[in-house]
Amino acid sequence: MSTPLLETRGVWQRFGGLIANSDVSISVGAGEIVGLIGPNGAGKSTLFNLIAGVLPPTQGSIWFDGKDVTHMPAAERCALGIARTFQVVKSFETMTVIDNVIVGALIRNDKMRDARRKAHEVLEFCGLASRADKLARDLIPSEKRRLEVARALATEPKLLMLDECLTGLTPLEAQSGVALVRKVRETGVTVLMVEHVMEIVMPLVDRAIVLNLGKKLVEGKPTDVVRHPEVISAYLGDRHAVGA
Amino acid sequence: MDSFTQRRRRDLILAAALAVIAACVPFFVKDVYVQNIMVLTLMYAALSQAWNILGGYCGQISLGHALYFGLGAYTTALLFTKFGVLPWFGMLGGGIISALIALALGYPTFRLRGHYFVIATIVIAEIGFLLFHNWDYAGAALGIDIPVRGDSWAKFQFTRSKLPFYYFALVFCCVAWFITWWLEDSKWGFWWRAVKDNPDAAESLGVVVFNSKMGAAAVSAFLTAIGGAFYAQFVSYIDPESVMTFQFSLLMALPAVLGGIGTLWGPVLGAVILIPMTELTRSFIGGSGRGVDLILYGAVIVVISLARPDGLLGLFSRRPASKGVPQ
Amino acid sequence: MTAATIIQSLASGLLMGLLYGLLAVGLALIFGLMDVTNFAHGEFLMLAMYLTFFLFMFWAVDPLLSIPIVAAGMFVFGAVIYLVIIRFAMRAKANIGMVQIFATFGLAILMRGLAQFFFTPDYRSIPASILGGKTISVFGVFLPVPQLVGALISIAAFGALYFFMKKTDFGRALEATREDAGAVALVGIDKNKVFALGWGLGSALIGLAGGVMAIFFYIYPDVGASFALIAYVTVALGGFGSVFGAFAGGIIVGLVEATTAMILPPSLKSVGIYAVYLLVVFVRPRGLFGSI
Repeated sequence: MSTPLLETRGVWQRFGGLIANSDVSISVGAGEIVGLIGPNGAGKSTLFNLIAGVLPPTQGSIWFDGKDVTHMPAAERCALGIARTFQVVKSFETMTVIDNVIVGALIRNDKMRDARRKAHEVLEFCGLASRADKLARDLIPSEKRRLEVARALATEPKLLMLDECLTGLTPLEAQSGVALVRKVRETGVTVLMVEHVMEIVMPLVDRAIVLNLGKKLVEGKPTDVVRHPEVISAYLGDRHAVGA
Repeated sequence: MDSFTQRRRRDLILAAALAVIAACVPFFVKDVYVQNIMVLTLMYAALSQAWNILGGYCGQISLGHALYFGLGAYTTALLFTKFGVLPWFGMLGGGIISALIALALGYPTFRLRGHYFVIATIVIAEIGFLLFHNWDYAGAALGIDIPVRGDSWAKFQFTRSKLPFYYFALVFCCVAWFITWWLEDSKWGFWWRAVKDNPDAAESLGVVVFNSKMGAAAVSAFLTAIGGAFYAQFVSYIDPESVMTFQFSLLMALPAVLGGIGTLWGPVLGAVILIPMTELTRSFIGGSGRGVDLILYGAVIVVISLARPDGLLGLFSRRPASKGVPQ
Repeated sequence: MTAATIIQSLASGLLMGLLYGLLAVGLALIFGLMDVTNFAHGEFLMLAMYLTFFLFMFWAVDPLLSIPIVAAGMFVFGAVIYLVIIRFAMRAKANIGMVQIFATFGLAILMRGLAQFFFTPDYRSIPASILGGKTISVFGVFLPVPQLVGALISIAAFGALYFFMKKTDFGRALEATREDAGAVALVGIDKNKVFALGWGLGSALIGLAGGVMAIFFYIYPDVGASFALIAYVTVALGGFGSVFGAFAGGIIVGLVEATTAMILPPSLKSVGIYAVYLLVVFVRPRGLFGSI
């Protein structure tokens, strides 16, 4: 593998006495779909936020596209090509769906007209075109998830980070979500997705990274990872591991 | 042409039509008292439009805009009385000073959220008031009497007729409206609304939240100071009590809140209802200091904020305020 | 300036500070309970002062004796305001923060207007009372008796509040609700009831402060405005929502005010307090002792 698109090097995050991430080094290659999984409290969300730039790590560094972004604010990371969705959706509730997406499109488009055109394209791509003029707060939950993805895609990212965007959907909705993620990858966007529920992500990802108790446990092909004894024991008692 | 472009064009046409009507009104309304109310209505519509940029679009509720209003008034009055500088330059200078001060104050205050921010704006304006109250050069508590040098547009003084002030206020109101209209479909407008609705999400989409707030504060403070400068010329006498009290901060926020916060027409609608109502109750029912105007304000604010949090404009909107989640 | 006058100023500052703590604790309580800032806090104080005044004027009840009556009256008033206004402000679908700011603000203006209308804008004062105008000397420092009594009431009130929050069922329910309103609903505590009682309690505490302040302060419709700002500063210093932080915050504000008054002209004495507010929130947006 050539230089990875995203790399964390020996990342630590402490909150007071609590260690959320200890010495986590992961890498994501361009064009991959990588799943970041692990049981509750494994430190997935913390690592996700460190990469997205919500806060800097206590120790270690984060590299994106050959640049050290460890202390770069979230907005600048977005300009570099990192886009994210939120686990608890954060739509711009009082704005219309199209306006939500325009906010994202503005980072690559100086003219409003171009941003608007881009936003319409993205809505079409995400299957939300018919909702364009609705207020975001009037969408149903699965549509809000899609809007999160659409907004992030409008920033034309190199890396799309999805935070449990398939969790809590009905099987049918989750399926069309999976299809959307595949479609995204086909356009050349790298995807890093955090998921708690293994069944959803395993068929989708090229590679899975398992975190447990703040540390990286194993990484590899999804089929290998689920058979790994340490992963099974980490998930032990968790029905998803048994099911896998 | 999509619905969005259509709506913007309709807004522009409506605004032009209203401006023409407003320009013709003085041909039919000769009563000086009524003209006075009309001037104030236009002024507060413009000021509230300015407040709305920061408070409504960007979501940073300031209850200290009296500071910028006062700075505009004082800059103009001081430059004129001490150095003979024409009010037009004072107006511009006041606007620039206010914008710079807004930026300087924004630096620490924009890190605060919610109530902490609101209280900080009140406290800062209060400090400004107390400083002017004790600043001898600016007349301290006695204020500044702007000497009458004869009616002229150059000196922006008119003692015989209110009409020049009326037309200036009309232009001011139109300009403030047009700036808002223009900003609404600009990068800044989108950033502001995003920051207001969800700063974290905005930041993740490449919006530099802090800079967005600073931009809104500067534009808002500049326009507010223009209003202050106008007011100083209009009443030709200013003191801290008459231009820098909390009352003014409130009067700038209220029309937008009543009409529809963060909307293009909210401030105008709010001012057209609120200002005449205030002035009329004050003179017909209230008498001096009987507080009827306050009772009215208070009751209206409470009722509107509970019954129509989106403002009165919602009554005219084709889109239902919120349909909730269709299921 | 001699050492004696400095000690004298600081002593009166300390007494006022204890009173400020009492004045602000209701605000902190409500804020901590439901994340609502009552922008009508100053007007609640104004009402309490007028209640004291009218009890004296019409029934010749001395302020010292009317304090519990005023506190009880304010308790009812606060609970009613919650049930009639605040409860609905919390229901807004969007902009909850803005809605509750303007709802309480509207209430403040309404109360001020009503006071002007019914009580006239005149400045009132209670001409003669058991405590009014008296001073006592403690180790050569002269202390005004009303402020001294106010300070003692404040200490007693904070003590009672401490006991109440830690030892009674309702206190514990209050404490639990401020930590997690959702979970509390699951155990069958009626959130609305707790909030209403919280508003009642917070207002009763203002009643105590108002009853004392009516003795030595002019009573007029706008009296609340400046004291409300002081209360916000106090709460900020103590840490928004921290009930006992308000106690410490009050003392600091009292001392800062006394110190500023020694340095700057009297008309600027509030500047010191405001500057302290800004300093505190700029450095620590959650207040000096804030934990929430």
